[in-house]
Amino acid sequence: MENGQHQQSFIQKYIFSTDHKVIGMQYAINGLLMAIAGGFLAYVFRYNLAFPGKDIPLFGQLSPMQYNTFITNHGMIMVFWVGMPLLLSSLGNFLIPTMVGTDDMAFPTLNMLSFWIFFVSSIVLLLAFFVPGGAYGGGWTMYPPLSANAYMNPNPDFFQALFSGASLMLLAVALEFVAMLMGGINFVVTTINKRAKGMTAFRIPLIVWFIDIASVIFMFAVGPLVAGAFMLLLDITVGTGFFDAARGGDPILWQHLFWFFGHPEVYVLLLPSLGVLGEILPVFSRKPLFAYKSIIYMALFSAVLSVVVWAHHQFVSGIDPRMATFFSIGTIIISIPFAGIFLAFMATLWGGSIKFTTPMLFALGFIGLFLVGGLTGLFLGSNAFDIYAHDSYFVVAHFHYTLFPDIFFGFFAAFYYWFPKFVGKDLDKTLGKIHFWLTTIFFNLTFFLLFFNGLAGEHRRINNYSFFGNVNKEPYTTFEKICTVGAILLILSQFVFVINLIKTLRSGKKAAKNPWNATTLEWVTDSPPKHGNFDTFPVVYRGPYEYSVPGCNEDYLPQNQEN
Amino acid sequence: MNIFPENVTTYAGEIDNLFWLIFTFVAIAFVISVIALIYPMIRYSNKNSPKAEYITGEKKKHFKWITIALVLLAMSDFVILVVEHGTWDKIEMNPPTDGVRVGITGIQWNWVFTYPGPDGKINTSDDIVINEMESELHVPVNTNVIMELRSRDVIHNVFLPNARLKQDVLPGRTNIRWVNFTKEGKYELICSQICGVLHSKMRNFIVVDSKEKYDAFMKDLYEKHNPKPKVDSPAKVATDSLQAKVPSADSTAKK
Repeated sequence: MENGQHQQSFIQKYIFSTDHKVIGMQYAINGLLMAIAGGFLAYVFRYNLAFPGKDIPLFGQLSPMQYNTFITNHGMIMVFWVGMPLLLSSLGNFLIPTMVGTDDMAFPTLNMLSFWIFFVSSIVLLLAFFVPGGAYGGGWTMYPPLSANAYMNPNPDFFQALFSGASLMLLAVALEFVAMLMGGINFVVTTINKRAKGMTAFRIPLIVWFIDIASVIFMFAVGPLVAGAFMLLLDITVGTGFFDAARGGDPILWQHLFWFFGHPEVYVLLLPSLGVLGEILPVFSRKPLFAYKSIIYMALFSAVLSVVVWAHHQFVSGIDPRMATFFSIGTIIISIPFAGIFLAFMATLWGGSIKFTTPMLFALGFIGLFLVGGLTGLFLGSNAFDIYAHDSYFVVAHFHYTLFPDIFFGFFAAFYYWFPKFVGKDLDKTLGKIHFWLTTIFFNLTFFLLFFNGLAGEHRRINNYSFFGNVNKEPYTTFEKICTVGAILLILSQFVFVINLIKTLRSGKKAAKNPWNATTLEWVTDSPPKHGNFDTFPVVYRGPYEYSVPGCNEDYLPQNQEN
Repeated sequence: MNIFPENVTTYAGEIDNLFWLIFTFVAIAFVISVIALIYPMIRYSNKNSPKAEYITGEKKKHFKWITIALVLLAMSDFVILVVEHGTWDKIEMNPPTDGVRVGITGIQWNWVFTYPGPDGKINTSDDIVINEMESELHVPVNTNVIMELRSRDVIHNVFLPNARLKQDVLPGRTNIRWVNFTKEGKYELICSQICGVLHSKMRNFIVVDSKEKYDAFMKDLYEKHNPKPKVDSPAKVATDSLQAKVPSADSTAKK
C-alpha cells in the first residue's frame, strides 16, 4: 500500500500540504488565531459597555462607529471564522479519514485549496479594518438598505465601493463559503467512497455522520445566500436595486435569503460538536452510546426541519403575521429531535462507570450550559413573546448560551481528547481541569445576568445604555459591569490553555497509541499517525461503541478486533 | 422586584403572562434535566460504579424513557403554542381598526411624528409633521392608537418597552401596529434595529395624556400649524417623499 514515505520539502510538508492532518491543523490554528481577534473585539466593546466613554486599556477611546464595527465583526468572526473552521473543517479533516480507516481525503488537492481559500478569506475580512471608512458596522446580518449604502463617500466610484468595508465583508464570506463547499464535498465523498472494509453505514462513528449531515445541510442552504450576497454586492458596487424599495426591490428579500442559510448554519455548527459528545461520553462512561441509530435518525429529521424554520428570525420584520405562526410551529417542533439527542447523551451516563477526565468535563459542561441555551430558545420561538424579546439582550444571552458551549466547549472537549493522538503528546491533566472550571464559571458570570437586562428591555447594539431610562438604573448597570468583569476573566482563563499547550509541546510525555482505551479506528494507528495513517488498511468487524461487552476480558472491543 | 418594565398598555400584561407560562414549563424541564444529569455523575462515577452495564439503548424498555420525555415536551410545546397563538392573534393578526391614527417614521437618526389633519388620516396633504430630536408624540389614554409605521431610509425598529412592542419599519412599506395605553405618563420610543452610526442615540418619547389634555394639545397644535389641505401641490408630504413613489404594501391601512 501507499505509505507516502517519499521525501518532501518543508513547504510541501507543512505549508502547501495535501495531508488531511496538516490541513486540519492549519484550520485549527487559523481558527484559534481568529478567535483571539474576535475575543479582543469582545473585550473592547464589553469594556465600553461597562464604562462608557472611558479610555479602554490596550485600546483607547471607542467611537460609536468603531463600536458598531466591532460588534459586527465579533459576530462574523466567531461564527464563520472560528466556529466553522474549528468544528467543521478541523475536526472533519482530522477525523473523517482516520475514523473511516483510510489514508487521506478523496480529493487531497481540493482539500489543500479549500484551506488556502479559507486563509485568503480571513485576510480579506481583516483587511476591511484598514480601508477608508473602516470595516462594516451594520450588524453581522448585513441588512440592506443600510449595507447597500454603507460607503462613507455618498457618490463612490466602482473601486471605492468595491473596497468598502461592506463589499470586503461580502467577498470574505463568499470566499469562505467556497472553501467550506470544497471541504464539505471532500467529507461526504470520503465517507461514502473510502471507508475501510466492513465499515457499514451503522458502524460509522457518530461524529463522522454528524459532520457529513452538517456538510449536506450547509451545501443545501448556502446557494440562496451566495446568490443574495452577489446581488447585494451589485447593489453596493454598480448601483442595482435588488433590495432597494424605491426601485422595485425589497429589503425583506435579503432577510429571507440570509436566514434561509443563517438558521441551518446554527445546526451546521451544532452537529459536529454533538458528534464530539457522541465520541467522548461513551469512552469515559465505558458504556455504548445510548440509542446510536435513533440519534442518527433524529439528526436527519432535524436536518430536514432546519431549512423550514428560518423566518423565526423575522417575526417582527413585517412579514405576514399568518406566516409567523407556521414558522413558530416549526421552530418549536425542531426542539423535539434535539431534545431527544441530548436525552440520549444523558442516558449514556446512566449505568456507566464515569471518569472525569478533562474532555469529559468539557463534554458534560457543554450539556449543562446548552440546556440553558436550548430552554431559553422556547421563549424566543414563541412568536408572541418574541414581539418583546426580539433583538434584546435576552437573545444575546440565549445565543451565547448555545454557541459558546457549542463552539468552545465542543472544540476544547475534542482538543483535549484527540490531542494525544494527532500531536502525540499528553496534555497536563491538572491545567486542563483548571481551564475547564475557570471557563465554566466565568462564562456564566459573563452571560447569565444578561437575560435580566434583556427582560428589562435592554436592546442590542447600543454603545451607551445610560441614555435609556428603563435600563439606566440598578441593578442593570451593575449587571453590565459584572458581565464585563466576567468577559475579561473568561478571556484571561484561556491563558491556562495556552500555557498547557506550550508546556506540553516543549516537554510533554509521548502519548500512547490508545490512551483512553477507545474503540474507533483512529486509536489503532500511531500517535501521531504518519503520512498515510495506517500500515495496512484496517478491517472493521463491529459498531463504534462496544464498551463493557459482557463476556469480554477488556472493557472495550476495538472496531478492528476480530473477536 | 419586577423583571419587566412598567406595564402600561392593555396587552403588555398578556405578554408578561406568556413569559411566566413558558417559564413554568422551562423551569420544570430544567430542574428535571439537571437532576438527570447530575445524579448519574455521582451514582455512576468511577468510584461508585467500577463496572459499567452494557446498554445499547435500542431496546424498547430503555428507549421508552426518551419517548416519554419527548411526548411530555411535545405536550408542553402544544400548550405554549396554543396560548401564544391567542396573544399573537390579538396583537398582530386582528388589530382594532378604529382609534386615533398617528404616523411614526424612522429616519437616520430620529423618529418623525405625524399627526393627522382635520381629515383624521395619515399620509395626506394636511398632516402635521414634527421632526425634532427627542420630540414627544402625544396620544390619549385608554384609546386605541393606530400607528402607521414607515421608514424613509434604512430599516429601523419601533420599540416601546412599556408596551412590549417591537416592529421593524421598512422603506417602501407601511406596517400598522396598535397600542392602547392605560396609564398617563412619558414613555420611551426606541430604535431597536441597528441603523447606522448614531443608532444608539435614536430615542424619542410617547406622552400619554388624559383625554382633556390631549384635546387641548391637539387644539394648540392645529392653531400653531394651521393645517389645510393643499390641493394644488402634489402628494409631496414631508414624511413620505419616498413612499409616494412606491405602492404601499399594506392592505389594512387606508380605507
